[in-house]
Amino acid sequence: MAFVSPTKRDQNGSYTFSSRPRPVEDRSKYREPPSEQTQSNYGNIMYDRRVVRGNTYAQQIIPTTALPDPVEVQRQQEIRRRTVATKRAREQCRTRTPEALQGRKHIDVQTDLYLEELSDVIVASDIECQTDAFLDKPATPLFIPAKSGKDVETQIEEGELFDFDREVQALLEVLVGKTVEQSLEEVMEEEELAGLRAQQRAFRELRNNELEEVLRLKEQERRSSKEKERRIAQQKEVLRKEREVAEKIAARAFTQQYLADLLPAVFTSLRSHGYFYDPVEKDIETNFFPWLMAEVNNSLEKRYTARALLDTIIDDVAWKRQEAFKDTQ
Amino acid sequence: MAGSPYDPSRAPVAYGRRAVPQLFSELQQQEAPRRLRALASLCDLLRDPERISCTVSGGSLEQLKVLLKDEDSIVRAKTCELLHLLTAHRIGRQALLSSSFLPHLSELMDDSSSSCRRNVQRVLNRLTLMPAGAEALLTLVPKLMLKLREEEEEEEEDVQVLLLSTLSSCSCLDPLPALASDGVSLLLHKLSDSSTDIRREATAALMALSVCEEGMRQVCEEEVLPVLVDLLRDKDVEVQANAAGVIMYAAIINEGKRQCLDLDVIPILLSLVSQDGEEEKDKERKKALVMYSLRALTALAEAPQGRCLLLEQLSLLGRRSEAAEEDQDIRRNAQNAVRVITWTPCNTGDL
Repeated sequence: MAFVSPTKRDQNGSYTFSSRPRPVEDRSKYREPPSEQTQSNYGNIMYDRRVVRGNTYAQQIIPTTALPDPVEVQRQQEIRRRTVATKRAREQCRTRTPEALQGRKHIDVQTDLYLEELSDVIVASDIECQTDAFLDKPATPLFIPAKSGKDVETQIEEGELFDFDREVQALLEVLVGKTVEQSLEEVMEEEELAGLRAQQRAFRELRNNELEEVLRLKEQERRSSKEKERRIAQQKEVLRKEREVAEKIAARAFTQQYLADLLPAVFTSLRSHGYFYDPVEKDIETNFFPWLMAEVNNSLEKRYTARALLDTIIDDVAWKRQEAFKDTQ
Repeated sequence: MAGSPYDPSRAPVAYGRRAVPQLFSELQQQEAPRRLRALASLCDLLRDPERISCTVSGGSLEQLKVLLKDEDSIVRAKTCELLHLLTAHRIGRQALLSSSFLPHLSELMDDSSSSCRRNVQRVLNRLTLMPAGAEALLTLVPKLMLKLREEEEEEEEDVQVLLLSTLSSCSCLDPLPALASDGVSLLLHKLSDSSTDIRREATAALMALSVCEEGMRQVCEEEVLPVLVDLLRDKDVEVQANAAGVIMYAAIINEGKRQCLDLDVIPILLSLVSQDGEEEKDKERKKALVMYSLRALTALAEAPQGRCLLLEQLSLLGRRSEAAEEDQDIRRNAQNAVRVITWTPCNTGDL
């Protein structure tokens, strides 16, 4: 059967049913398997065996006792059977009216003095009853069910459901822990850097110390080597000067000795080169003789030219004579 | 705490291995607030060296280069802060150097936002913890000096301190670039600053510069020594130590010796060396000061006038050179000083 909610509201909302009216469903003879959920088939109420038919006035009330005694049941069955049997026997032995003759019919007739109308209609009288107008329903008394079972009480004390301190501990741990962790990291970082710088500073101090020593010694060395060089240079200078002076002296002596017989040698050489000369002689030599020689050359030239001319003439004549001779031959 | 949904300034963080890659992909979003939140979460996460090594090996540092050129100045400053955290560990420093971040960082030094500039200086300062980093920064030294000159007008003390510290670390490796950019005169100006930190860093940088001959010469020429002699009486021990260091280097060359003797520096140095009744912890801090003063006295003892003066005070140094002195370095220095003071030409051995 379909499950319907017990408190289904009507469409216009006027009623609430605790159990909504529903059509009676057809039920088969045999129970259906329980797992199957059947659709509600609404059966015809007219053909439903469970509905009581006819007059209910004379119906027997079903005994309320559940299972009757089997002996009792058997006895009752016996009684029923006996009554049925006796009735049947009586029926058979009873004389009946003979059948009507052909074309005639038996009819029941009233033979009383006063005729009575027999009808199926049962005289019924209507009686109405009306309840009083609705009174206000008095307040339902408080329904206190009968006490059954054990009494158990429970009460939540303050602080049982939620203990602030306990709850907050976890949160605080995380918050404070993370903050402290972060700050520890940062502090370690800074310490590391500070340690690095301190180490560098210590190293720098020692380095400066040693470096200064090195530079000072280097400078000292430089100074002393410069001093040495200067002294050596000075000494060299002295030696050089001495040498120079010695050379100068030697040169002076040599020159003196060399120039001792310079003068006569000079005069001799000059004289031998002809720088002391007789001007007249020189004049004759430089002026007169060239002119003389030039004149002599000129005249000789003339003679040569004349001789050459003569040669050509003679040659010419000889040639002509030869030709003439050849001609005559 | 990073990753909590109730912190509006941080982006939510994925679990475990996905945390950093997811935040990096968040960095590529268009809206600046989201990028800022992702950067804030990354700053919290990347303090852990393991995460840094994952990031570096994953090669997501290129994205940070893009972010360095972002329009929003807060994003740029946050990115520099992130790089600052990366440089706290060696892996991060190496990664920064090998991925050639230096050109971008040097551009950012001229940024308009001061927090960005400060963070960039912090990054550069941390990079000098590595020798390779200091070497790479040598090319940036002229620009750093320029910045130092400019920062004077803006009076940002911590940026100046950072710049000076970076400069001194770089100059320890090679002082020539800084000397070429006229470093000595700039540092001379800083020596008379009112802040102790600036004085300390300036004297340290000057000491690094005066290691080479050119530096010694410039220190003597630019009249730095009178200021240094004043600083020998400073309240802070480190400033005194660094000033003594510069004097010790400058006194190596003849010009320096002459100037020091003119300034009458020997009594001051002697008073620094002979402090009695010190406590243990003071001794530790003053070790450098005593060492440098002894060395300066040694250098000055090579000059005749210096030697005359010091021969009178020999007993003082003798005390320091005895076995009673626990510190081996100081003892050695003092013995060395005594040897140089008592040298005469007829002694055997070298000059």
